[in-house]
Amino acid sequence: MSSIKQIPVVEAKRTNPLARVFDDLVRFCRSRSLFILHYCTGCGAIELPPAMTSRFDMERLGIQPMVSPRQADILLITGYVSIKTLKRVILTYEQMGSPKYVIGICSCTVNGGMYWQSYATAKKLDEYMPVDLYIAGCMPRPEAVIEGLQQLMDRIHAGEANSWEDYYRNYDYYLGNQQKLFGEDWQTPTDVISEAKHYDLLSNGTLGDHTRLLEQHQKPLEALEMRLGHEQKEPAK
Amino acid sequence: MSATELLIELTLMPLVAFVVGMMMVLMMRRIAAKLQRRVGPPFFQPLYDIVKLHSKRTQVSHGLIHDIGIVMAMGGYIAAETLLPVPGMNGIAEKGGIITLLYLMMIPSLGLALGVGQCANPNGSIGIARALTAMLAYDIPLVIVVFGVAYAAGTTNLIDIIATQQAGGFETWGVTQMPLLAIAGLIAMHASLGKQPFEIYIAPAEIATGPMVEMGGKYLGGLFVMQCFQLYTTAVLYVSLFLGGGTTWFDFLLKSFLVLAIPMSIAYLFPRYRTEDLLRLMWKWPVMLGLIGIAFVI
Amino acid sequence: MMLTLLDELLLFSGATLLVALFIGRGLAAGWMVTILYGGQLLALLKMAVLGYGGGTIASSLSFEIMGQELSWRFDGLSWFFALITIGSALLSSWFSCGAWERSYIRQGGNIWLFHTAMALNVFTMLILLASGDLLSLFIGWELVSWAGFLLMVLAGGVATSAAMRYITYAMAGGMAIFGGLALIYTASGSLQLEAVTTAVEQMSGAKLWLLVILFGGGFGVKMGLMPFHLWQAPAYAETPGPGSAFLGAISSRMGLFAILLVLVKLFGIVNIESLKLPFTPIDARDLLAWIAVFTIILPTFTAMKQNDARHLLAWHGIGQGGYMLLGVVVADAMGGAGGLLHVFNHATYQAALFMAVTAVIYRTGTSDLNKLGGLVVRMPLSFVVLLIGIIGLAGLPPMNGFVSKWLVYRSLLNQGMPLLFLAAVIGTLGTILSVYKLIHNIFLGQLRVEHEHVSEAPWSMMIPMLILSAIIFVTGLLPGIPLEWVASALQTVGLPVPDHTLGGIESASGSLDMIWVIGVLFAGFGVGALVFYSAGRSKRVHQLDNYAGGHFLSADVRYQYSDNFYAGLMHLIGGWYRGSFLWLERSIRSLVEFLSLGMQGLYRRANAEFYLLTTALFVIAWVVI
Repeated sequence: MSSIKQIPVVEAKRTNPLARVFDDLVRFCRSRSLFILHYCTGCGAIELPPAMTSRFDMERLGIQPMVSPRQADILLITGYVSIKTLKRVILTYEQMGSPKYVIGICSCTVNGGMYWQSYATAKKLDEYMPVDLYIAGCMPRPEAVIEGLQQLMDRIHAGEANSWEDYYRNYDYYLGNQQKLFGEDWQTPTDVISEAKHYDLLSNGTLGDHTRLLEQHQKPLEALEMRLGHEQKEPAK
Repeated sequence: MSATELLIELTLMPLVAFVVGMMMVLMMRRIAAKLQRRVGPPFFQPLYDIVKLHSKRTQVSHGLIHDIGIVMAMGGYIAAETLLPVPGMNGIAEKGGIITLLYLMMIPSLGLALGVGQCANPNGSIGIARALTAMLAYDIPLVIVVFGVAYAAGTTNLIDIIATQQAGGFETWGVTQMPLLAIAGLIAMHASLGKQPFEIYIAPAEIATGPMVEMGGKYLGGLFVMQCFQLYTTAVLYVSLFLGGGTTWFDFLLKSFLVLAIPMSIAYLFPRYRTEDLLRLMWKWPVMLGLIGIAFVI
Repeated sequence: MMLTLLDELLLFSGATLLVALFIGRGLAAGWMVTILYGGQLLALLKMAVLGYGGGTIASSLSFEIMGQELSWRFDGLSWFFALITIGSALLSSWFSCGAWERSYIRQGGNIWLFHTAMALNVFTMLILLASGDLLSLFIGWELVSWAGFLLMVLAGGVATSAAMRYITYAMAGGMAIFGGLALIYTASGSLQLEAVTTAVEQMSGAKLWLLVILFGGGFGVKMGLMPFHLWQAPAYAETPGPGSAFLGAISSRMGLFAILLVLVKLFGIVNIESLKLPFTPIDARDLLAWIAVFTIILPTFTAMKQNDARHLLAWHGIGQGGYMLLGVVVADAMGGAGGLLHVFNHATYQAALFMAVTAVIYRTGTSDLNKLGGLVVRMPLSFVVLLIGIIGLAGLPPMNGFVSKWLVYRSLLNQGMPLLFLAAVIGTLGTILSVYKLIHNIFLGQLRVEHEHVSEAPWSMMIPMLILSAIIFVTGLLPGIPLEWVASALQTVGLPVPDHTLGGIESASGSLDMIWVIGVLFAGFGVGALVFYSAGRSKRVHQLDNYAGGHFLSADVRYQYSDNFYAGLMHLIGGWYRGSFLWLERSIRSLVEFLSLGMQGLYRRANAEFYLLTTALFVIAWVVI
């Protein structure tokens, strides 16, 4: 389900050649300007400072670290994800702005790694959110990290790195896996379904049993619309 | 001047400011990279960032004021550029003068402050509180400096201030006439850029980039644009006050880039001050220098 | 007897008072009074020639008492202040009609007393503004003081003690003025305005000093000048909403009017400047300027520490008074114009701000800055009004406060007064900090659960607020309109008039054209909006969908920064707030208490022989010497 290959890449039918050039420029800029949010969960974090600083210098490629999920393009998860952490990872992922990319670094994100037998560790990251790229290793060297990032850049430029759409298209699947782990009353502050509608990404997999379960207990998350109404509503004493 | 010419000037001035500002951002990042023995970003990196941010699919808004805040942040600077004379173009500089310019330069910060306020994020609010505190810190020496220069030139009109400096070559430049004010101005300018050691309101490790915490996509993009304008405005203002403005574009840009390179080169060698230490520093040395400088002028 | 235009105005104003007094309990009383204020405004506008350089219009009422002729007349200065007075009374009264009135009555307020007190204030202020000699000035002054007391004492409780404090100060000021009058009377034998000029010519330096101190202090009490500023903020803040808007807009400017009339017009700035303070390089004018500057800075920074919106605004009211005095004391063309223009501008934005805060109180029941937040989505229009008001208060373009402050700065720059200039700018920066706290803590940040059902203030309150906002913006865009009136007022007091155009000021050393500045500013906003809105549709999110370092936010836990807002700044300057003036006030109070106790003890003895002996001794000593 989470495999990149299964995602139908819908090529926008644009006849205007200028629009094509424009799209290409946008894709190029997206690939050359990547802000990463490193969610440093495990030991892999130690490989990032060398990748960023003078030895390998990620800024050459236009990659720089950012602080809050709103600003970031890449969610970099650098190690084992405990269940408690995973809640925060999902919260963070949902708050990021699309197009967004997830990179799992270290074996732990691929299959649990050395924490395979741990009761408190989420084994496969891509069951809970679409992952664009795994960089395996325990831990991968900075060269490998940069190599992986470059692959991602190529894919973004080619317009293939669209896994973020998968989260909206198959939200029910991901939510189901999350509910399995966190219980039925699991809810994030982000209203994913309304976002899917907003991006026109509502498809068969978006809604299902699990989202129905969510809706039963969900606290409303509609934005506080600006109201101009003057009619007197007596405040409840 | 005909209306068409004026219109062209009013269009060109912000445009030039934006392009030059992007190069200044590039210079800043390159200087940082060089100091840290890195290669640094490619030439068009600032452009890539801005285009990418504006082309994000998700644009998270916390409300109308959040949007308007960004518009004001960009628009205020666009307006301010037309009050800042550059070689060959005066725009509407004589209609406002330097006091108006200084106050117009507060509009973007105010807009940003409003926008951040509506994000309902205390990190952002703390950031704005600190940014305003920093403004209180560096504006005091800056105002002393501006007073000194305007008083010495006998006018608040930037065109005249530049013309008096250009009258006698290097001898009549502000920096040779009023060296103490020039030093105080440089320190105040450094603080106004919000770079280390004065970046109390960004403080990424402490308040998660403060004002920018809830900004993504075009919101952050707007702030990147604002940063380009901010660097340009600060540098050009300093050049106009102390380095005789520019007679040609070449020496104008050269001076602007050079003067900006000074705080940049200092910035990346330092960690961050605490808020009260920034205030103490700003209210002590540059103010003292500035007041002595004014005493010489008067 | 022919009624002059001034008679008409005063009669109208008296009629308003009577209407409020006798049928003020009726349902539509508020509206009726408001309409009568409108009538007063029309009567005033019939005298508009005064605002455009015309001479004087006398009242037909005048009589003699003890050889002194009392007369009343209007000139450019009076007209300018009267315009602000009646304008703010009209809008405040309008604001109080309808919804606010009903809620005020529901909370046990006496609306009859409120309307009466307002009408009385306006009436007495007009009498004061019309005074044609020193005696009528004094009578007007005392009337205004007591009328103000009536309005301030309305809310009861804390307001009563604040009002008592006010009236104590006001009486002390009144005594000082009375002393000054006595001095002038002994020197020139007359209390006509011209008598002051003759008295000034005859007097020695020391006596002149005394005169300046007596008048400056007496009038300064009303203006809230340092060190007589303590009464003002609590007294204004605790007045019921529209009343505080009115008082904040104009009441304390009566002090400035009197200072302009007596110190600037009759003494002449030149005479004041000739008074040197012994052993120092400063003269009386510098002293006034420095008092003005401290009045700007200290109250502004006190305002920053307030946690109640009304108190914050009231403290700013004191601080802004400093700019007016500063401009007037500098007394060149730009300074005088700036100071007077600031009276007008301040009245507009201060009234708008108090009204916006009152609207918030009306809907939420509190003005505590730590108990509000996020109201912009519920009260957007009030937000806009408050925003326009604070931009004016902070003196930023494009609102009117910028123009008057610009003029004051320019005059200080032209005169080469760096320290005063710096101090004025520090005041402005402090204002920016403090007003951001105001708007942030009320309207921005997180909306509290209990305020989710709040709605916008009713139209009866909204319309006056919107009118004021429009005035703030329009007079910022076209400062030439009020500058005409200011020019007329300046001519009356004999100050130079700057070259002004519709858009601002013409000057060889740097002009200001607000039409261009604002035009370019809005063009800039337009371009910014074009860039911003062409970049893809935004999606609104809920306020709890927010970065919290991975924490799950919920509505029951506040995620808002409001208390100790400028913590870093307070780390440094927090220790500088010593409350020295409060300490001074308290020590004077204890001293008076101690003395009165001593006196009481003395009387209690009831030792008649002792009193007789002392008196006799004094009489003998006086005769002998």
